[in-house]
Amino acid sequence: MAPLPGIPGIPGSGLAKGLAVTLRTMTKRTVTAQYPDALPELPPRSRGVIALFEENCTVCMLCARECPDWCIYIDSHKETAPPAAPGGRERSRNVLDRFAIDFSLCMYCGICIEVCPFDALFWSPEFEYAETDILDLTHERDKLRDWMWTVPAPPALDPAAEEPKEIAAARKAAEKAAAAAEAARRDQGSRDDQDEGDA
Amino acid sequence: MTETTIGIGGAAEGTDMVLNIGPQHPSTHGVLRLRLVLDGERIRSAEPIVGYMHRGAEKLFEARDYRQIVMLANRHDWLSAFSNELGVVLAVERMLGMEVPERAVWTRTLLAELNRVLNHLMFLGSYPLELGGITPIFYAFTEREELQQVMEEVSGGRMHYMFNRVGGLKEDLPNGWTGRARATVAAVRSRMGRIDDLVLGNEIFRGRTRGVGVLSQQDVHGFGVSGPIARASGVDFDLRRDEPYLAYGELADTMRVVTRTEGDCLARFEVLLEQTHVALDLADACLDRLTDLPPGPINQRLPKVLKAPEGHTYAWTENPLGLNGYYLVSKGEKTPYRLKLRSASFNNIQALTVLLPGTLVADMVAILGSMFFVVGDVDK
Repeated sequence: MAPLPGIPGIPGSGLAKGLAVTLRTMTKRTVTAQYPDALPELPPRSRGVIALFEENCTVCMLCARECPDWCIYIDSHKETAPPAAPGGRERSRNVLDRFAIDFSLCMYCGICIEVCPFDALFWSPEFEYAETDILDLTHERDKLRDWMWTVPAPPALDPAAEEPKEIAAARKAAEKAAAAAEAARRDQGSRDDQDEGDA
Repeated sequence: MTETTIGIGGAAEGTDMVLNIGPQHPSTHGVLRLRLVLDGERIRSAEPIVGYMHRGAEKLFEARDYRQIVMLANRHDWLSAFSNELGVVLAVERMLGMEVPERAVWTRTLLAELNRVLNHLMFLGSYPLELGGITPIFYAFTEREELQQVMEEVSGGRMHYMFNRVGGLKEDLPNGWTGRARATVAAVRSRMGRIDDLVLGNEIFRGRTRGVGVLSQQDVHGFGVSGPIARASGVDFDLRRDEPYLAYGELADTMRVVTRTEGDCLARFEVLLEQTHVALDLADACLDRLTDLPPGPINQRLPKVLKAPEGHTYAWTENPLGLNGYYLVSKGEKTPYRLKLRSASFNNIQALTVLLPGTLVADMVAILGSMFFVVGDVDK
């Protein structure tokens, strides 16, 4: 600590202390990473870029509508498929023509990813997509699809956390199936017993 | 008829000079403009001219739903994004009468305190920089980097966390995060002494800040100054203790309100530095409680369309830079009818009108830097 006001310490002792700090730091290993040579390790939740898994997209437009600054552009057209069985009804479905995100407008809030009901959008920690022209920051579907390969698996949750709803649903389905199989086996077993009794 | 006006030079007006500091000036970190009237080296009057970065946040809130508002609201003060988000969701939760799960309450308190440390470290580094000491900011940023990594791991963002939702938080904590957060808090605390040695004990720093820019208690009340600046002038007021929100009510034994009575630049810096220590202690206390909590959810299930019921409420929080309040008026729509934002820096910098007159131009930089403001928070 510096000398209290009014009580003179040794002149320059505060300066010397500061210099001692820098001297100590000088002898330690540097904390700066040389970026292009040393790549940063980013956590899986890192919001670097939005990737599109276009096979899952049904052109429901929820992401484009919920985006706070409307930076998602979607074009689509309807295609009609012949009926599956003769005499049936024709099926129509939406086909994605264009899916683009303007990353010069995007505010990286992740609302589009949150609202997507079919899991077609994901965060990727990828960040090296700087451009020299602002127009080039509008990335089209092929680029967004490529980023899908960089999407990491979500991190495991804290032990005190609630089960993620995907896992809970899968577990419930598995338990139900197991219970059904068990019931069927028992049913089968009792019938076998009966058969034996008859014989 | 022709009328001719003949100028007689400036002799009758004296020799005052009007000097504009900003809107583009390195010491204003942003676009704050100061109009100074100088008498030689001495400032006769000063007027902060705000609004160069006005983005109309309040108007934009009116056309966004409560999830989109969180995204906008964390941006006006980009150094305290988490606390900004908090005010919005607290207001909406109060309107809905919604009970937030305990895990969410403690995690929010923890993240708010980590955000406070991040904010204070920025100013602890940048203030010496403005006074000519280049080194301390590198030390401050070393600590910031580690804390930002912790925040990024949990929320995905380094500045704009976008982690609050009405009814809780976006996601639960990743496995092992609490341990890493605890280690980081300990590491940051162990190195905080370097700022004491580098800055606080430095004779040049003390010489330039002690007794400079003394803000009186009357002016604090007159201008609605809040936060560390008000506490450095002896105003013992902190919402975390005086009107506890989140889990602060249960942290009363760890919570310490840092005050000084001098009201000068040095006192403001000391308050900021000591508050950082308190925030680290609070973060540790939250981590302790978080490990003891029973397993449970971290957010509430929300309806597809979230509407705040008709009515109004005012939610204020103790942000790192001072009081931050949201006055929410709802007509029962999914967007607010009006969301008034009371930001800390806007009030704090108004005190410059009384703080600057009578000081020297060279001290102006020291005083300006010690007001710890973010221009986005001033201009909204």
